Amino acid sequence: MDESRRVRETYDRIASHFADTREHPWPEVEAFLEGRQGTLGLDVGCANGRHAQLLAARTDRVLGVDASRGLLFEARTRARDRGFGVDLLQGDAAALPVRSERVDLAVYVATIHHLPDRETRVGSLDELARVLAPGGRALVSAWSTAHGKFDAEAGFDTTVDWTLPGGETVPRFYHIYAPEEFRAEVEDSALAVESFEVSSGNCYATVKREQ
Amino acid sequence: MKESLMEIVCCPIDKADLELDVEEREGEEILEGSLTCTECGEVYPIEDGIPNLLPPDMREDAAA
Repeated sequence: MDESRRVRETYDRIASHFADTREHPWPEVEAFLEGRQGTLGLDVGCANGRHAQLLAARTDRVLGVDASRGLLFEARTRARDRGFGVDLLQGDAAALPVRSERVDLAVYVATIHHLPDRETRVGSLDELARVLAPGGRALVSAWSTAHGKFDAEAGFDTTVDWTLPGGETVPRFYHIYAPEEFRAEVEDSALAVESFEVSSGNCYATVKREQ
Repeated sequence: MKESLMEIVCCPIDKADLELDVEEREGEEILEGSLTCTECGEVYPIEDGIPNLLPPDMREDAAA
């Protein structure tokens, strides 16, 4: 079975428990959004919508895209409970169902590392570049070797288990990036890096369309 | 999904416009229906109010 489908099916299975453990937005995302606003926001790999919720406060309309239907239902519940608006779409980060040059503000966090190979990942960054409006900005993040969990210098593919209540484990594919490798991947796409940092074991790039 | 999304979404494969077919609607929310690509003809279902715009090879019913 294709790796992207496998990851989607895994998240469908763990959606409810996963959402419960993803209550709070990441401070790095809050810092990126500080002082920014726009008409259309986009959260690629929106999961339970915790970052779509932040985007909703800064844009007129927010799209939440995720491959997992189970997670989209979690996002819908969160949006109803917390009273924010989000338009939910089931979609693939590597083939965004969004028209070109529309998005002013996007976050694509902790998602790209689930895509199966470099070509697909760079392709997904090209997709993000395509949908960004002129002047639009996005934050892209991925798990990196800088995390204390890993003892490696170079990037590598791995499987990280998710443990459900009751002890059952469900495997998820990850590509763990070396920070410089991540930066190079972003720069190989149609995105330009505006700033780059490593924080809490993740790499973050603030990006715009290449001129 | 809201009908106003039609101005924003497109076919994930060729990025062409989609044509909306509504089966069930509640106010401005479309609960059931489909989106058909005006270029390649691919049909994307809208179920429980959420459109499934995954490329065909990533869908539930795709051959393993």
